[in-house]
Amino acid sequence: MPRPTRRPPVPPSAARQARLFAALGDPSRLRLVELLQGGDRAVHELAAWFQVSRPAISQHLRVLRSAGLVREDRAGRERRYRLEGREMRRAYEWIRRYERFWDERLRRLEATLERERAREEHSA
Amino acid sequence: MKSIRREVFYPHPPERVWRALTEPALLASWLMENDIAPRIGHRFTFRTKPAPGFDGIVRCEVLEADPPRRLAYSWVGGPKKRAPTTVEWTLIPEHSGTRLVLVHSGFSGVAGFLLRTMMGRGWGHKLAEPQHFLAVLDRIKALGGSA
Repeated sequence: MPRPTRRPPVPPSAARQARLFAALGDPSRLRLVELLQGGDRAVHELAAWFQVSRPAISQHLRVLRSAGLVREDRAGRERRYRLEGREMRRAYEWIRRYERFWDERLRRLEATLERERAREEHSA
Repeated sequence: MKSIRREVFYPHPPERVWRALTEPALLASWLMENDIAPRIGHRFTFRTKPAPGFDGIVRCEVLEADPPRRLAYSWVGGPKKRAPTTVEWTLIPEHSGTRLVLVHSGFSGVAGFLLRTMMGRGWGHKLAEPQHFLAVLDRIKALGGSA
């Protein structure tokens, strides 16, 4: 009987996920991520979309940065922000790995059922 | 898409498929070593080789058992404090075989966020469709980030 080859995927670290989830659990920060999907932006460009003050937007951007969702680049005196794909990609790939895990196991189930049919017919 | 869903047709009667889902030795031959019993409330584990960040144990509890139609259990892989996900099996007789439906749901954290929010509704009309979401992911990938 072949041994299972693929383990269930190891989840991303709980602390890292909690940070990321908290970062995205705020409507303003979600909106910032949406805006950054259009390309990199300076703080003042982002702040123009919001009613709240620029320091408040900067604070939101810090939270997104600490969660690994955005990256800050300094161009002269200007700070520009852009999306950082790593954490999102990690979570997405975790789901993909789970999908592949189940696909592989459901194929193995077919072989198990075939063997079981043969055994039943043999003992009948 | 809020969960992982798979549908497979097997040319075997539901009773045989049910046994492959609920008899430990048969289940181990295609999934993992286990001590399952199809009894609501029964706690059991799947065991596999540990990996960094994973002790190799998936902790489960039977939530539904209706032979040979439906089986559901909670599924916690990784650290104990993680919120459980749910694995549901539905067996539908079809011709002389079985259509087996697997739904793995309840992902929390970022994976759940991706499944629930971005792949479904909630991120605005542009992200409402999975193909848009995938386009966004491609974009995120293109933006880089050293994985």
